[in-house]
Amino acid sequence: MRLLRSNLAKDEVISRIRDLVEALYIEIPSGVGSKGKIRLGHEDERRLLLKGAHWAVEQGFGDASDIERTESGGCIDGADPSLISNKAYERGRAQQGTLGSGNHFLEIQYVDEIYDEKAARAFGLFLGQMTVMIHTGSRGFGHQVCTDFLVVMEEAIRRYNISLPDRELACAPYSSPEAKDYLGAMRAAANYAWANRQCIMHWAREAFFKILNISPNALGMSLIYDVAHNIAKTEEHTVDDKKMKLIVHRKGATRAFPPGHPELPAAYRAIGQPVLIPGDMGRASYVLVGTEKAMAESFGSTCHGAGRVMSRHQAIRQAKGRSIRRELEDRGILVRSAGRETLAEEMSEAYKDISNVVDVVHRAGISRKVARLRPMGVIKG
Amino acid sequence: MVEGIRRIDETHWEVPIGYKPGMRVPGIIYVDDILIKDIEKQSVDQVANTATLPGIIRASLAMPDIHTGYGFPIGGVAAMDLKEGVVSPGGVGYDIN
Repeated sequence: MRLLRSNLAKDEVISRIRDLVEALYIEIPSGVGSKGKIRLGHEDERRLLLKGAHWAVEQGFGDASDIERTESGGCIDGADPSLISNKAYERGRAQQGTLGSGNHFLEIQYVDEIYDEKAARAFGLFLGQMTVMIHTGSRGFGHQVCTDFLVVMEEAIRRYNISLPDRELACAPYSSPEAKDYLGAMRAAANYAWANRQCIMHWAREAFFKILNISPNALGMSLIYDVAHNIAKTEEHTVDDKKMKLIVHRKGATRAFPPGHPELPAAYRAIGQPVLIPGDMGRASYVLVGTEKAMAESFGSTCHGAGRVMSRHQAIRQAKGRSIRRELEDRGILVRSAGRETLAEEMSEAYKDISNVVDVVHRAGISRKVARLRPMGVIKG
Repeated sequence: MVEGIRRIDETHWEVPIGYKPGMRVPGIIYVDDILIKDIEKQSVDQVANTATLPGIIRASLAMPDIHTGYGFPIGGVAAMDLKEGVVSPGGVGYDIN
């Protein structure tokens, strides 16, 4: 997840929304198996896997200030490109700088409610402001890494005699070569994802400059934060009053570190980590902030998004005979999608109400509401 | 409503040790009286399954956006000890990062 701020108010954008959505749709490749403008040679791809968002900045996509506001500086240590299969390299070659399909999106939004003035100010958010949210990951590359290592782990559970209630939990002891290899490959995929969002953000900014005919300074479209939500990380936590290193698996869960945590950028250290929570394309998204309670209770973690209540298949069936695109447009949300069935699969009713989800983590105290964002324009894969 | 789970307070539900054999820690689901109605049994089973993994610390956690995933629930958090614990690709999923 990645969120950009701007200096613009909703009203300065709304009259050009159609052109903006169209330009973003053209500039940012989307859809199943979409191929981008970047073609990676083997050596380029290897470097990208080691350097993450830094690779994108070296190519001229964005600058160092973006890196500072990305989890792990957009590059996690310990990525090992030698552990990546040829098939994963092949899938990754043309998909860098692409949005993909499914729940991935790019959204033009506006801030319609502020819950925490101080945190909002620290994040550079104000009421009525235009923001841009980007949700995509490591694409086919990461998918292939997962597929490859599930096979490795199937063998590992026999070798290490691990009994499991479900073989889908296939795993290996942290200290084993199998686990080390998986983490080396997973980190490479994490870096692929950080580079991907950095490239997409760069093209999104360029589309805004062009369509609004505005200078970078006047637009003020800088990164608020970029945070992962499907990752395993080695972190220090306090367990029974003792500091311990743990391997924390977050699957559809967002890191939510508290004020003062050394991993936060200086600008947010007094406030806490920005937490970006996308809702479905018809309702809202939220910005939250990490808390001490999350550190004490949930290993510094909170929710990721709305969560499906309907399978993709069910959603397509329910949307039969309806134009989801038109329904959204009637509510002031302009949508452009590459896939014919994506809009049905992704309609609001297929998801839990994001406001209910966010209310629970807010009341539980594992993150705190800062602002609500409403969609104006959506690019879907 | 899924049977065998217990409301702790207005935002926490427990999947007690014993919900499934072999659980080393309880499951904790962050959910309230509204969202509990949307929770599938299969995803609660996955919270319990995750709780059986070697080296899991404190609890197998799930967020209010929990739904069924590959092995582990989507919306799940599982922290493992580095000495006894395991690493699992299913705990991260296919869409890495």
